Amino acid sequence: MSDLGRVLRIDARRTALFLAVPALAFLGAVAAWRAMLPGVAYWDDAVAALFSSVCLLGPASAGFAAWVALREHRLDYLRGLTARSPALGPLLDLLLLGIVTLCAYAVVAAVVAAKTMIHVEAGHPKPIGPLAGALTLLVYTVVGYLAGRLVPRLPTVPAVAVVTYLWAAARPEPWADLLPPPGVGHVGLFAALRTELLAAQALWSFGLGAVLVTGYLWALTRHAWLALPTVAAAGVVTGTTLWLHGQQRTPAVVPRAFAYSCRQWPLTVCVHPGLHTALPSLEAALTPLAARLSGTPGRFVRIEHRPDNDFPRPGHGVVYIHLSDLSPGYAHRAAQEIEISLLDARTCGDPRHAVGARYSALVSAWLLDEGPPRLDDAVAARAFARWDEQRRRRWLHTHYARYHSCTLRGRDFHER
Amino acid sequence: MIGDFSAIVARGLGIRRSRRWLLRPTTFEVTHGVVGLAGPAGPARSALLETLATLRSPSTGDLEVLGHDVTRRAGRRAVRARLGLLPARFAWASGLSTHDFVAYASYYKCTPRRAVDAILERFGLSDAAAFEMDMLPQDLRLRAGLAATCVHEPEVVFLDEPLSGIGDSEREELIPLLRGLAPAVVVTAADPAELTGWCDRGFSMVRGRLIESPCVPLPRARVPAGV
Repeated sequence: MSDLGRVLRIDARRTALFLAVPALAFLGAVAAWRAMLPGVAYWDDAVAALFSSVCLLGPASAGFAAWVALREHRLDYLRGLTARSPALGPLLDLLLLGIVTLCAYAVVAAVVAAKTMIHVEAGHPKPIGPLAGALTLLVYTVVGYLAGRLVPRLPTVPAVAVVTYLWAAARPEPWADLLPPPGVGHVGLFAALRTELLAAQALWSFGLGAVLVTGYLWALTRHAWLALPTVAAAGVVTGTTLWLHGQQRTPAVVPRAFAYSCRQWPLTVCVHPGLHTALPSLEAALTPLAARLSGTPGRFVRIEHRPDNDFPRPGHGVVYIHLSDLSPGYAHRAAQEIEISLLDARTCGDPRHAVGARYSALVSAWLLDEGPPRLDDAVAARAFARWDEQRRRRWLHTHYARYHSCTLRGRDFHER
Repeated sequence: MIGDFSAIVARGLGIRRSRRWLLRPTTFEVTHGVVGLAGPAGPARSALLETLATLRSPSTGDLEVLGHDVTRRAGRRAVRARLGLLPARFAWASGLSTHDFVAYASYYKCTPRRAVDAILERFGLSDAAAFEMDMLPQDLRLRAGLAATCVHEPEVVFLDEPLSGIGDSEREELIPLLRGLAPAVVVTAADPAELTGWCDRGFSMVRGRLIESPCVPLPRARVPAGV
């Protein structure tokens, strides 16, 4: 082993780097997993999950780097009085910390990619996304290390972690959400991250990291030539900041072209391909509802999954559902959404029709296979409860207009 | 009077932290031999030692070490490889063997690998080379720290309270070793009495002032020449 290799090994042991990788990886993986949608995964949302993990992993890495700087500061009596460049020690520290951070991030990215590949039927992997996350994470590490070098006190470690966490959690200006790590939250199924935005964020992180490292090296060595990369990197940061500032009125995500995944029988159910695994459950949950509404003006034979901000008017046998994930109960929620769309919101929300709305709720409970609500009109409730399925369907066929407008009356349930 | 052969020459050297003088501007020189610096443990004494060792810039005044103006970057770079510093309660690499610890220092001092074995031998650490630093008794740990500090055979060595906590019998063995570390050795102690008998010159730090104080050296005949 070379002398440098031996020194790196010693430094790695000194600073517990071999323990830091699994600890940081676990923290980042948990953060990323929690950020991913249950039961569904696609590449753009995987990138958003990586950014979410960076928001937690970054401050942890910064705190760890500050602690390493603190420990290494105690060895300045050996590393400072050196015949070598005074920048060597800090550069070796940053190299080791960078390796640790990137190894932990690679584990997190592997977990996210594995989950995405199990589910994915939508989108394409964008390497620029993980790259932007990695560069952002390195900036956190550099910031933590430099803080530990400049203020080698124990309180620096938690202070750095808290301040860097707050940077991700509370931005001073709304447009600053575009700066890394960007606060994209979830990327909807029908949307895609803008590649040029990811590229600018990667460039911004790279520039800031370069400014910090070259600036610190200049402070240590006073080499005039370091001014050139420092100024160039500062120019990159300024340029990308201005560009990102100019993007504040443009959405961070754009609509994405896609082709529905459909199941054709007995109903036609069409969902975003990212949710194709939900088709059997949706078919099973919505078929009874469609059967009960058959022959009424609310009948439907096709269900379409729509983006969260798109609410077309149902009609001509087509109804619409909105699902962003497959968390437990999603099929029932879809049925509820269809059932609610059957009612006239204007009249049902009118307090004058409060009694009628309660009768409609009784019918809705049957349509959704839910327990009947408590009703003041016990006679009507008992009568409806006694009827068999066929009689209820015939009754709905006759009274659909009143059900739709929440104008049902007690006598509508009187047996004849 | 300041001679041309002085290892350290300070003119109006002052060290300030915030608004407080840790060392008021003072002029002194260190030629060769063991120079004792007595004063209470604290930031003032450590700051002076770090300043003389070029790890810290003086707030005011001029400082020359081994003929180089160390207030300038070029002077510091030129002289650092010729200095050694062992702080009080020095840090070491936990879980690391004595040999690896000295080898670690040797890498930064740019010395060949064989120098590590040579200095371990010279400091009586050959048998303890494979032991972890944490396992060593205090006197051997000090020897390892000295070996790491002096692996490059410096011309001036600064030692901050090296004998603190060392037993009397071990002190007797260590003092000749300390005297032979380099042509000029600056050593501190909390109590001037700890330096009496083995330093050639003495200073005391009193309320930010550096005062030359008498130091009774051992008769030359009693001091072994190196180890």
